[in-house]
Amino acid sequence: MPAFHQIGHDSKNLLFDEGLNRFGGAILSPLNYKPDDVVDQLTRLKERENFVTLLDPHLYRPQSERMCLPSWDYYPRDVETADFTPVWWAGIVHKLAETALKLGPTAVASPAIVPKTFPDEFYLELVQNGNQLESVLRNTPVKPTQTIVASLVDLTAPQRAMSIASVMSKSRIEDCLLVLIGNTDPRRELADPEELKGAMKLIAALESGGQRVTVASCSSEMILWKAAGATNCATGKFFNLRRFTISRFEEPDSSGGGQLGYWFEEALLGFLRQSDLLRVNAQKLLSDASAGNPFSQQILENIPAQKAWVALGWRHFMYWFADAEFRLSVGSVSADDLVTAADATWAAVENSKPKIFMEERQNNGDWVRQWRRALEEFPYFE
Amino acid sequence: MSAYVLESVAKAICDSVGYDFGCGIGQGAFKETFSATQADGVRVAVKVLKPGCSAERSDREVEAMKRCAHPNVAALLELSAIDVDGAQYPFIIEAFMSGGTLEDRLGAGLISRSELLKIGEALICAVDHIAAQELVHRDFKPANIMFVDAQGDAVIGDFGIVRDLRRDSLTQTYLSSGPGTPFFAAPEQLTNDKALIDWRTDQFALAVTLVIAHFGFHPYQRDGENDSQAISRVASRSGPSPTFVQMAAQIELPALIKMLAPWPVERFRTPSMLLNAWRAQRGGD
Repeated sequence: MPAFHQIGHDSKNLLFDEGLNRFGGAILSPLNYKPDDVVDQLTRLKERENFVTLLDPHLYRPQSERMCLPSWDYYPRDVETADFTPVWWAGIVHKLAETALKLGPTAVASPAIVPKTFPDEFYLELVQNGNQLESVLRNTPVKPTQTIVASLVDLTAPQRAMSIASVMSKSRIEDCLLVLIGNTDPRRELADPEELKGAMKLIAALESGGQRVTVASCSSEMILWKAAGATNCATGKFFNLRRFTISRFEEPDSSGGGQLGYWFEEALLGFLRQSDLLRVNAQKLLSDASAGNPFSQQILENIPAQKAWVALGWRHFMYWFADAEFRLSVGSVSADDLVTAADATWAAVENSKPKIFMEERQNNGDWVRQWRRALEEFPYFE
Repeated sequence: MSAYVLESVAKAICDSVGYDFGCGIGQGAFKETFSATQADGVRVAVKVLKPGCSAERSDREVEAMKRCAHPNVAALLELSAIDVDGAQYPFIIEAFMSGGTLEDRLGAGLISRSELLKIGEALICAVDHIAAQELVHRDFKPANIMFVDAQGDAVIGDFGIVRDLRRDSLTQTYLSSGPGTPFFAAPEQLTNDKALIDWRTDQFALAVTLVIAHFGFHPYQRDGENDSQAISRVASRSGPSPTFVQMAAQIELPALIKMLAPWPVERFRTPSMLLNAWRAQRGGD
């Protein structure tokens, strides 16, 4: 299935970038855009054939992360004093459904918060919100999507993934939006194999039970979610640059946080700074995927001219994401192929003459071994 | 002397409503059941609740039965209460099933594959209906499955521990296991994982019942193991025994295997999916 573009701050133009037309869907962001802006985006996106638009109400942190949310009718005005009871949620679900029916996206995700802890009762509440949304939208052109917010740390507990999947499969909704919450340092790839295996197990359990999973806010670990059977994966420009974000799930403010250009290299399954890119390129270690990426040449031309290429870096990563998602979906490559090749390339980097020292000490490919482990072990993860 | 402690109460009920009292036909933790005959000759079952049993439980049982109206679910004809010797006894009058229970039938031997498919289909329809009312029966077992007559359809009765998903659970969260008959119960019922209880809990218990009825052993039981070991295996979610899986596969009952998966997410997600898969097994007959 096609990749989804997760729209973030100041990224609406990327939706219409010619080089990024392999994305088959977009997750709309009321957090970053007011209703009129989303109407404009939808009007243009509806011109595309079979393009899926998913409105994510983005109430994950309604008290602290508001941005444009107060301009939306469904945003609760009493968010600071509310007890988040079922009746309170029901009111939000109804207003959200009204908003969605007015805007006309393909689908709308059920509302959810990021809780302090993740007990079963939280998941039952998610199901309740989802089923309520399904009831309200039945026989309308807008499809409901069941939001699932899961903690990567929680998923490391034995049997937790199966337990969560068992609760979430009570939902009458077949399409799910999975939002994974983690504590991984924003400059690092997800690399805890237990967390990865738990998330993969959850995805696999939901998919084999007949629910289609779209994983939100993915970075390069998308290849693992695809290996677990995820129907769709979503990404946006900030998942290239999340080394500069406060946390994986949050975005930098409008200043952008002093960004540098990053090149995503499939041969290493890693992000490269400019000087690293030049040295890896000199050793002829770049992948065929990079050679076929239309933004690669532009970046390589910008470097000698000392032109900034931050925005090209976003596009370079997003092109790779959609392309790799497609190749993984049709089976022309497997996640195992990619991580095995990356492991070998990191070994080549280590053994190269002259030896390549990445600018960032921690950019050493260690996560690739953990990803190999996760891929190997997740089917046996209890 | 009768083993039925509530027989005198049942007789008093029959006298008060003009029925001919028959005899005791069943006993459970909360009630005793008696046969009786109405003036028009129609036989009925009179269920008398034991004094001191939870009023909330019996209320829920009655509410659940009132909500259901399906040929494969026991029908509630009347609900009332009678005062005998200063004590009040609630009672339920249901249609009498002259075909006896599945437990009675198993006394004469195991059921054939075609009987299994027929009984299974009727009870899946019952589970579908019960689930649509947002109820979980939680006590599918041979003793609670009755037959309208010798050739008739299977009917599920005894909603004594029914769970109403629209209302708060009556089971305390701190308990290590929830109510039910352990030998037939699903893992989530045995471990009191309340959030996991739904119609798929009945799906599991129905499957255990059908396996017992056709194969004669618990599907989680390994060779040489006793009943408690089988229950422990269910509670620890170890999965059905390889022997059962092999035997079920050999006689082309793949749906039965899936119904017995340890986690609800691995079982059939909707009753209609289960019914379709169940009907697809007919070919092997």
